[in-house]
Amino acid sequence: MACSPHTAAPEDLHPSLWRASQLAHSNARCVDTGHPTLSRQLPGGGWPTGTLIDLLLQQPGIGEMRLLRPALAAAASRRIVLLQPPHPPQALALAALGVPPSQLIWLRAGRGADALWAAEQVLRSGSCGALLFWTNHVRGESLRRLHLAAQCGETLFFMMRPLASAQDSSPAPLRLSLRPAAGGLDIGFVKRRGPQRDAPLFLPLTPSLLQRHATVDRPVFAPASARGLQPELVN
Amino acid sequence: MPQLALEVFSPNWSTDAGCVVLEQERVLAASPLARAAGVQIGMRRGGVLMLMPEARIVERSLEREAEALHAVAMALLQYTPQVAQAEESTLLIDIGASLRLFGGIRALCRRVRASLRALGFSGYLSCAPTARGAWLLARKRAGRVLRIASLTRRLDRMPSALLPPARAYAAWFEGIGCFDLGAMQRLPRPGLQRRCGRALLDMLDAAYGMSPELFEWIEAPTVFHAKIELFDRIENAEECLQGAQRLVQQLTGWLCAHQLAVERITLLLEHERGKVARPATKVEIALAEPTWRDEHLIRLLKERLAQVVLEAPVIGLALDAPQLQPMAPLNESLFPEPGGSEEDRVRMLELLIARLGPDNVLQALPQADYRPEVANTWVPVQQKVRESVRCAQMPADVHSLPRPTWILAKPIALLMRNHRPFYGSPLKMASTPERIEAGWWSQTQTRDYFIAEGQDHTLYWVYRERIVGASEDANPRWFLHGLFG
Repeated sequence: MACSPHTAAPEDLHPSLWRASQLAHSNARCVDTGHPTLSRQLPGGGWPTGTLIDLLLQQPGIGEMRLLRPALAAAASRRIVLLQPPHPPQALALAALGVPPSQLIWLRAGRGADALWAAEQVLRSGSCGALLFWTNHVRGESLRRLHLAAQCGETLFFMMRPLASAQDSSPAPLRLSLRPAAGGLDIGFVKRRGPQRDAPLFLPLTPSLLQRHATVDRPVFAPASARGLQPELVN
Repeated sequence: MPQLALEVFSPNWSTDAGCVVLEQERVLAASPLARAAGVQIGMRRGGVLMLMPEARIVERSLEREAEALHAVAMALLQYTPQVAQAEESTLLIDIGASLRLFGGIRALCRRVRASLRALGFSGYLSCAPTARGAWLLARKRAGRVLRIASLTRRLDRMPSALLPPARAYAAWFEGIGCFDLGAMQRLPRPGLQRRCGRALLDMLDAAYGMSPELFEWIEAPTVFHAKIELFDRIENAEECLQGAQRLVQQLTGWLCAHQLAVERITLLLEHERGKVARPATKVEIALAEPTWRDEHLIRLLKERLAQVVLEAPVIGLALDAPQLQPMAPLNESLFPEPGGSEEDRVRMLELLIARLGPDNVLQALPQADYRPEVANTWVPVQQKVRESVRCAQMPADVHSLPRPTWILAKPIALLMRNHRPFYGSPLKMASTPERIEAGWWSQTQTRDYFIAEGQDHTLYWVYRERIVGASEDANPRWFLHGLFG
């Protein structure tokens, strides 16, 4: 009775059922991550929109924006809100990542409550393509509230939190930990709708840093004085 | 509005302090707290004081009631341009033409009721095909009637003393056994007119829809100014919001009546005049886009009032609309966009600005400058920036320019260990340098920027300060300036 060959597989019965060894098929609309190796590991094959996605960073500036680059570029038809980034964002660098400066909004909040309020307002209005929210301390009920607010719309919502908060519970259906590695990022799957994966996934990130400048002579020359140059050097 | 005499002194959002209204030394109305203490209609002042010594006893003020009625009429102008005052603190509104716009009679009644509540009054709402019929139903609290046949049936059962001109003859009507309007309708008309006058007959005909009715519709004044006096001294700015809501309701009605939209509103919080006269605190709200709806104004006021610190208790509120524009209704698209409209976004930004402050909601405005700090300029979102200007400032090779995502507000001087810069771990240069030498006109920068890699493979943007003219073996000074996100 238990396992007759005629019984339909649970994953065919209902979209929200899956086996523990499989990845869930997500009902939510997903935005492609742009990294095929990562997309294969995520339920739904991309970043889900309208949910809270927890990214746990070892420290800011380890390649998290390069990881999100394809998704942000796809969402850049609407505004992208940076809420409480760790340092002032550089518009030119973001433009190089594919987000035009006209679509960027940088919100600074004095108090934690203001930041949470602002995040909720942005999510509820649903008129922004993506919200990136950096915070260090946030309580479980605030996270749940933000997760609910995210479900009102189709905004991509990433929360960037320190690695230490991996210990705390979170209502986010997708939680990834990011650590720098040589030439890319080590992505750990703290929580996902799918099988447990202990080994981190190494994702090579092309550094957007090209060796485009010629080598500069190391010693510093004294500034050229007038008529001090030899004529053959001028040509 | 049966409670008007009371509610002009204690609106339903204020805390009940046992308010009792007297008319000719008799209790006319009493608040729930006073009634719970045993105060009844018709009592004398002494009786009230005995039952409830702390009661706030006020004399009925017809002037205030008229003002309040006018305020309500003003707010109701948002539902229809035709609002008229009737006897016994009643307002008549003609909603025949508004039903479709507001989504049917039930939805409209709900909204009118909500407006009344926001104004601080409680009222009873009735609808009928004739205005006098609706008036009678409202006086008797008899609900809604939509067809003339059912109205006739309902009116037939109304007590005859409900019509004001019939009250003087109530005993006579009772004597001849004419208890309800149906019986009155069946009395011979010439006799009724001779005994009771023409007014009764006219009113009866109007109620049954047999003669047309004429009203003096209320006209909205040409300039908007509304104020209310608060009856308690309010010490917390957030508590003013209830009063402000009432003013905003009036403003909405006035704007709809004049087909205007507001660009700027000023809320004045008037303080108690003690020994020194204090100027009123001014809360000014400028809108990026003119609006005539109350929800957005109230949300903005709420955030702004939360920030106001009161130096003295507030005793009055006044609202002005100094900057107006003709109303431009929205273009509704047939297939709404999933991401919300442009207006939604503007509204969200205004709300964020109201709470976080204009300097904390920023947009990028890159400058054409080699110095990274200068190039990375952010300006308040309110500042209007033309797209072409922004594009003109962008470098042509933006996609191959090595710039870090996060730029430190202030470069950090790095320690040196073994002739290498050190930040958490020794840094290894991972790129060829990029020389930036600019700003001789203000702040000269002579720097060689490198991309450095720490031992944990994090990439940093560091620079070496070049001191022109320094000897070759001078210790180079290294700074951390950015992080590659």
